[in-house]
Amino acid sequence: MKILLVGFGVVGKALALLLEEQRAALYARHGFSPALVGVIDSRGAAFDADGLDPEALLAAKERHGTVGALPSRGLEGVQDVELIAQSDAQVVIEATPTSVACPNAALSRLKAAFRTGKHVVCVNKGPLAVAFPALLELARHNRVELRFSGTVGGGTPMLAFATECTRGSKVRALRAVLNGTTNFILWRMEREGEGFEAALAEATRLGYAERDPSADVDGVDAATKLVILANGVLGRPCSLADVSIAGIREVSREWIDRARGQGRVVKLIAELERGLSVGPREIPADSPLNVPASLNALCVELESGGEMTLVGRGAGGPETATAIVRDLIDVWHAQGGRA
Amino acid sequence: MKLVMKFGGTSLADAERMRRCARLVQENAGPEGAAAVVSAMDGVTEELWALAEAAAVTGPALVETRLASLRRRHEEAAGCLGGVDRVTQLLAELERLREGIGAVGELTARSRDAVLSFGERLAAALFERALALEGLAPATFTGGEAGLVTDERFGEAEPLFELSLYQMGERVGRALGEGRTALVTGYIAATQHGVTTTLGRGGSDYTATLLGAALGAGEVWIWSDVDGLMSADPRLVPEARLLEQISFAEAVEMAQFGAKAMHPRALEPAAERGIPVRMKNTFNPASPGTLISGGEASGTVARSIHLVQDAGLINVTGAAMIGHAGTAARVFQTLAERGINIRMISQSVSEAGISLAVAGNQLEAARAALESALLRTRAARRVEADREVAIVAVVGSGMRGVPGVAARMFGAIARRGINVIAIAQGSSELSVSFVVSRAAGPEAVRALHEELVQAPGG
Repeated sequence: MKILLVGFGVVGKALALLLEEQRAALYARHGFSPALVGVIDSRGAAFDADGLDPEALLAAKERHGTVGALPSRGLEGVQDVELIAQSDAQVVIEATPTSVACPNAALSRLKAAFRTGKHVVCVNKGPLAVAFPALLELARHNRVELRFSGTVGGGTPMLAFATECTRGSKVRALRAVLNGTTNFILWRMEREGEGFEAALAEATRLGYAERDPSADVDGVDAATKLVILANGVLGRPCSLADVSIAGIREVSREWIDRARGQGRVVKLIAELERGLSVGPREIPADSPLNVPASLNALCVELESGGEMTLVGRGAGGPETATAIVRDLIDVWHAQGGRA
Repeated sequence: MKLVMKFGGTSLADAERMRRCARLVQENAGPEGAAAVVSAMDGVTEELWALAEAAAVTGPALVETRLASLRRRHEEAAGCLGGVDRVTQLLAELERLREGIGAVGELTARSRDAVLSFGERLAAALFERALALEGLAPATFTGGEAGLVTDERFGEAEPLFELSLYQMGERVGRALGEGRTALVTGYIAATQHGVTTTLGRGGSDYTATLLGAALGAGEVWIWSDVDGLMSADPRLVPEARLLEQISFAEAVEMAQFGAKAMHPRALEPAAERGIPVRMKNTFNPASPGTLISGGEASGTVARSIHLVQDAGLINVTGAAMIGHAGTAARVFQTLAERGINIRMISQSVSEAGISLAVAGNQLEAARAALESALLRTRAARRVEADREVAIVAVVGSGMRGVPGVAARMFGAIARRGINVIAIAQGSSELSVSFVVSRAAGPEAVRALHEELVQAPGG
C-alpha cells in the first residue's frame, strides 16, 4: 500500500522510522507492506514510487530544513493540494500540527485526498474539530476510509476503547482528562504548592508545554478532542462552537487547597452528557480520573455496565505514530488486504 | 436575525422588478445581514433548455435566434441596471458552450446542466447591480462558489448535506460578517471536482433553505407572486383564506397541490435545523405571507381542502386476491413499469379489492397494463376503470387524535348528497383523501371548507 505523508515534524519522523522498524512484523502478521512513496513538509516534498528511505529523509530535514532537499527525489516549494491529487498513493496521512484557528489548509488537503479516492489517516485535530460531519460524509461519498485514532490520547487507544464500551449499551456520560499539559500544571500546583505561572514554567522547561501554551491552558485542545469523541464514538454531529470552554488560568492555589481539605482535587475535565463542556472541576481525590503528571484518562459511564476508565500517555511522537500504524492496518483490512 | 431571501423568476422578470426585489432586501436586512438567492429570470430556464436541445441537433440559425432573444432580454435589463460587460461575457461563454455541443452533436446531462446554469448566473449578474443601486455591497457566489457540493447525478443532483452546510456557513457567513449582502445563484451547484450541476425540482428553494441552515438564519423568505398558501383554491371557494402559519409536516402534505407550494425536499433542511420558512409576495410585501415552522399553530381542525379534478379510479377485484400475499405488489409493480404514478390507494381488510387513483390521462394505460398482467394469470377477476372522478384532500394536524373528525367530514358531504367512492388516510392523520364523482368535486370542497375550516371553533 502506497502512503503519502503530509507533515514531517515529531510525529511524521517517528512514523517514517516506525514503519521501517515494523516492516517485517507488519508483513508477517497482516500481509501488509506499506511503502512511503511521498512526504510533504511546509517547504518542500520528496517522492519515490519505490519508497523513500527514512534515514535519508531525516538527514535532509535535519541539514536543510525540508525533505525537498533530498537529492534527485526532492521538490522545493510545493502546492500540497495538487501533489496529493496527482499522487498515486492509496493513503494520505495528515500529520501537520493542529491549528484550530485556521484549519482551511488541512481541510483542503483532506478534500483533495477524498475526491481523488484516497483513504485518510488524520492526526491533525483542526479539520475534525470544525468539520467532522462534513469530512465523514465526504469520505463515505467517495467510498474511502477516514481514520483518526491518534487525535485523542496519542498512542492510548481512547477512541477504540470508548467505541468498544458503547457496543450493546448506551453512553450516559463521558468524562475525561484529555490534555497532558494542563493536567501536569494542576498536578504540580496541588503537589508542590506552586502557583499557576510557576507550574506552567516547569511544564515548559520539561517540554510538555508549547512556547505558546494558550491552546492547552485555555482548554481548546481538550475541547477539540471532546468534539472528536462525540462525533467519532457517539455519532453526535457537533463542532468546536458547540462546546462551552473554560481554561485553567483562573485556577488559584486557594481553590486547590480548599478542595484538598475536602478530599477533592481540581482537574480540567472534558465532559459530554447532555451538552459538551470543558473546564476546571472538583472531583473526589479517589476518582479514577485523578491521574498524575501529564497522563490522560477517559471514563465512560454506561446506562448498563457501569463505569470504565482508560489511563495512558496522551501525546508524544512515537506514541502518536503507533496510533497511525494501527489506523493503517485498519485501512488495509477494510480494503480486504488489497494493495 | 440573519435572513435568507429567495426570489423566483416572475419576481425578477425585468429590470424594474429586480429593483423592487433589491429594495425588499435593503428594507428587510437587519444588522446581522441578509443573503439573497436568485432564480433565473422568468422563462429563461425553459429557453436555455430548448437552446441546449437545439444546439445538438439543428443548424446554427435556429439556435442563433434563441440566443438572440436571451441576449436581448438580459442586455435590456443590463441597460437599466448596469453590468452590461458581465452579461456580455457570460453570453459569450454560453455561445462557446453552444458551439462545443454543436461540434460534438450530442447533449449530455452534464452539458445540459452547464447550459442551464447560465439562467441563474445571468440573473445574479443583474441582481448584483440592482443591490448595488440600493447602496448595498453585494458579494456574489454561484452555488458551487458558495460551497454547495452535490453528487454527480446531473439534472437532479443531491447535495452532500453536511459538507455543503459547513462550506456555505464559512464562505457566505464570512461575507455577511464583513457587512456585505451575499447573493447566491439558486438551483445550481457543483460536484466536488467543480463541475456544474443543477438541483432539479424545487432547486432554488432548496438552495435557499440549505443556505438558511448553513447560516443559522432566523427565517428563510421565499418571495414569489402569490401571498402564500391558501385554505382552498379561491376560484372554487370564495371564502378561502390565507394560511398564516402551518407546520413543516402540513406543508409537505400540501406540496402535491398547486404549483406554488414548496417541494418537500426543499423543506427538509429547514425542518431539520428548525428554521422557519415564510412564503411572501413581492407584489404585496405588506402581507405577512405563510409561515412554515416547527410549531403547530392551534386553530381549525383542518388547515386546507384541496381538489385533484382530473383523476381516474381503478378497482381491481377478485376472490383469488383474498389472503394471497403479493397481489398488491404485482399491481404496483405493473404500474411502476409503465411509469404510472399512483395518487391514492385504498384496500379494505376483506382484501376483496384494491382501489387506486391515478391521473386522468394515465387511466387507460393503467387499465390496459393491469388487465394484461392480472387477468391472464387469474390473479384478479375484474379491472374496472372509472373515468369521471375527482380526489378531495383534507390536510391539517388538528385532525390528529381528535375523535369525531371523520363523522363531521362525511356528515358535511352527505348533507350535500355526495357519495364517497373510496377513502384513504395515513396513520399520520395529517391528511384524508377521498374519491367522489368528478361533478361533485367542487361542491365537496366547499362543504368541507365550510365545516372544517370556516366553522367557528373549526
